Amino acid sequence: MDNRKGLIIILRWLIIIVISYLILFGRGRIIDQNLSNLLILIYIASNICLIFLPVSLFYSSKFFFSLVVFDTLIVSIGMYLSEKMISDFYIVFFLIIIFASISRNLKLLMIMGSISSCVYGLLLYSRGLLLTSEGGSYFLRIPFIFIMTAFYGYIVQTLTEEKREELVISEDKYRGLFENANDGIIILKVPSLEIIDVNMEVEKALGYRKEDLLSKDIFFLIRSEEIEKAKDFFHKIKQKDGARTDELSLIKKDGLPIEVDISGKRIDLGEEAFYQIIFRDLTQQRILEKKIRDSKRSLEAIFDGIQDQLSIQSPQFTILRVNRAVIKNYSTTFGDLLGKKCYEAYYQRSTPCEKCPVKITIETKKPSSSIYKLLEIDKTLQIFSYPILDEQGNLLSVIEYVKDVTEQQRLQDQLIQSEKLAGIGILASGVAHEINNPLSGIIGMAELALEEDDLNKQKNYLSDILSCAQRIAEITNGLRSYSRMAKKEELVEIDINDILESSLKIVNFAFKGIQVDVERQFQPLTKIKANPGEIQQVFVNLITNAFQALNGKKGVVSLMTKASEDFVEIKIKDNGIGIPEKHLNKIFDPFFTTKKVGEGTGLGLNIVYRIVTKYDGIINVESKEGVGTTFTIKFPRRDYV
Amino acid sequence: MKNKRILIVDDEEVIRKFVKIQLSKLGYEVGEAEDGEKAIAKLASEDFDLIICDIMMPNKDGWEVIKEVRANPKTKDLPIIVLTARNEDIDMFKGYEIGASYYMTKPFTKGQLLYGLKLMFEESTNEYSL
Repeated sequence: MDNRKGLIIILRWLIIIVISYLILFGRGRIIDQNLSNLLILIYIASNICLIFLPVSLFYSSKFFFSLVVFDTLIVSIGMYLSEKMISDFYIVFFLIIIFASISRNLKLLMIMGSISSCVYGLLLYSRGLLLTSEGGSYFLRIPFIFIMTAFYGYIVQTLTEEKREELVISEDKYRGLFENANDGIIILKVPSLEIIDVNMEVEKALGYRKEDLLSKDIFFLIRSEEIEKAKDFFHKIKQKDGARTDELSLIKKDGLPIEVDISGKRIDLGEEAFYQIIFRDLTQQRILEKKIRDSKRSLEAIFDGIQDQLSIQSPQFTILRVNRAVIKNYSTTFGDLLGKKCYEAYYQRSTPCEKCPVKITIETKKPSSSIYKLLEIDKTLQIFSYPILDEQGNLLSVIEYVKDVTEQQRLQDQLIQSEKLAGIGILASGVAHEINNPLSGIIGMAELALEEDDLNKQKNYLSDILSCAQRIAEITNGLRSYSRMAKKEELVEIDINDILESSLKIVNFAFKGIQVDVERQFQPLTKIKANPGEIQQVFVNLITNAFQALNGKKGVVSLMTKASEDFVEIKIKDNGIGIPEKHLNKIFDPFFTTKKVGEGTGLGLNIVYRIVTKYDGIINVESKEGVGTTFTIKFPRRDYV
Repeated sequence: MKNKRILIVDDEEVIRKFVKIQLSKLGYEVGEAEDGEKAIAKLASEDFDLIICDIMMPNKDGWEVIKEVRANPKTKDLPIIVLTARNEDIDMFKGYEIGASYYMTKPFTKGQLLYGLKLMFEESTNEYSL
C-alpha cells in the first residue's frame, strides 16, 4: 500500500477510535444514541471506502480538500455529540486546524501540537478533571489533539510539497525554454541595466561565459560609437514597454561586432522590474543575403553579357525580361518592351509567328528551336526556346534565345561550295585520265596513218582515230551537267533518276579500272524541286563512298529509287567493307574521317547530311562490317503548282 | 641478232594496236596483254626483254604487275616502261619506287616511245639496236 494512502487511513482509524470512544463514553452521551451510532458507522464506512480508492486519487488536491472538509465536519459533529458543545475543546480543535493551515512545517506543527496537548492536559489536571469519574473521557482528549494535529499537519504538508514540486517543474520548464532558445536572451535589472541572467545562446553567440557577464553593465556589450543609439533603445523600452531594432551590434569576446536583430521588453514582477532583451545573430543571415545578392548580380551580368539576344516570356507571350543584346538590337528601352507581347514588340505582328519555338514550348513544355531567314535584312536567325518550370512542372516562363547564324550559314554555304570545287578537282583528274587514253590512240594512229602509203591501212587507222575522238566527245558531253554544279542555281524541278544516272557517270570516270557491277532499280518518280548541283553532289559523294568501300575488289553497287505517297526514296547500297559500329553515329560529323591525311576531308558525308536536311529530307545508314552499307534518303514529295 | 621481245600491257585496244605496229616495223617481236593478270600469265610462259605497262587496268593494275615482276627471280631485272594516263608527280615517284625503269605519261608520240626504248636497251645491254 502506498505510503500516503496508508498513513491517511491509519490516522483516520486513530481519529475514529478516539472520537467513537468520546461519543460512546463521553460526558454528554445518550443524547441521541441512534444518531451517534450512525455517525460512527458513516465514519468507519468512509475509511473502509478509502481502502478501495485508487492511490492516484490521494495525489489530487481536490480529493484532499474534500477529505479535510468531510473529516472536520464529522469530527465537529462527533465532538458535539460527545461533549455537548464543550467550548474549550472546540477552541483547541479549531486552533489546530488554523495552525495546520498556516504552518507549512510538519515538524514545527507537531511540536506545537505536543505543547498544546501538554498545556491542555495540565489545565485539565489542575482543575482536577482528570481524576473525576469522567477522567477517562477527558484524558483521551490529549492524544486526540495530537492525532488531529498529525492528520491535518500531514495533509497540509503533503499539499505544500506538491505545490513546491509543481513550481520546480514549471520553473525547470521555463528555464529550459530560456536556455534552449535559439535567440540570445539577456535579463537586465531596472534601472541599473545590470545583467542578471543570460541564456546559453548568449554565451555561444558572444563567446563569453555566463559568469563573465553577470552583474556587468549592458553597455559593456555595446560598441562605444553605438552607445547613444543603445540608450535611445532602452529609453524606448522604458516609454513604450518594448522596442525593436536591427541597427545595433554587440561586441563578442574577441572584440568583433556581430550584427543583431534585437528586441527589448519590460517585465514587472511585483515591485521589481526587468528588461528582457532578446537578440538574434544576423551574421549568417547577412552572409546569405549577400550571397544571394552576389549570385543574382553575377547571373544578371551573365544574362546581360551574352551577346545573343535573350528574352523571357510569360506563357501568354508577354515579355518579362530581356538582356542588353535585345535592347541594343532593337534600339529600345527595357520599359518599352516590358509587358508587350513578343510578337508585337519584335515582329510587329498581332498573332504569334508561324513555327515559333516559344509557342511550341508553351504547348509542350519542352525546348524547341527553328531557323528564320529574314530576307529583308539578309539575316539568318536560329531561335531556341527553353521552358522554366516550377516544382510541380507548371510552366512559369519561356526563355527565348536568338542566335544570329548568318555568318555560320554563310560559312556553311562556302564549305558546300568548296567541297563542290574539290569534287570538280577530283573529277578533272579522273576526266583527264579518261581523255588521255583515246587521245594517245588518236596521236598514235595519226602518226601511223601519216607513215602509211597503203590506202586501206590508212582507212583502218583513220577509223580508229574517229572512234577515239567520239569517245572523247562522249566524255565532254557527260561533263556538261556537272559543270553546272559550281554555279549558284535557283531551285528547279528535277528527276532524281536522271541525277542518279549522271552522278554515276561522274563517279565512273574517277574509278576507271576498278570493276564494279552497278545494279539499277529505278521507279518512275515525281519531280522534286531542288538545286540539281546539290542533289548531284549528294549522290556523287555517296556513290564514291560505295565504290571506295569495295576497296578495289569486285563488288556490286545498287542504286534504287522508290516513290511512296509522301516520299521519294533513294537507296545506295554496296557490298563492301562496311562501317564499324562505333563509327556509325559519327559518320555525318564534320571532319570525321577514317581515311589517311590528304585522302579525305571528312566533309563528304557532312555535306550530304546538310544538303539532305536542307530539303527537309531524312538520311539513314545501315551497315555491317564485311557485309556492306546502305544509305537511304527520303525527300518529302511536295506538289508545287 | 635475235629479235628483242617486247610485251605491251594495256586495256586500250587501240593503243596496243599502234604500239605493236610501230614496234614490229622496227623489228621487235611484240606480245600483247589486255590486263595485269593476263600479262603475268604471259610472262610465266614466254620470255620477254621489255615490258610496256599501263597502270589503270581491270583485274590487276600496273602497280601489282610491277611488284610481281620484281618479286619473281626470273624477271626481277627485266626493264619496265610505265605508260599511263596518271600524270601527277606523285604517281611517277610511286612508279620508280616500286620498280619501274622508266615512266611515261599519255598522251605520247612515237618519238617519245622510241626514246624510252633506246634508254632501256642502252642501259641494260649497251647495245644500240635501233
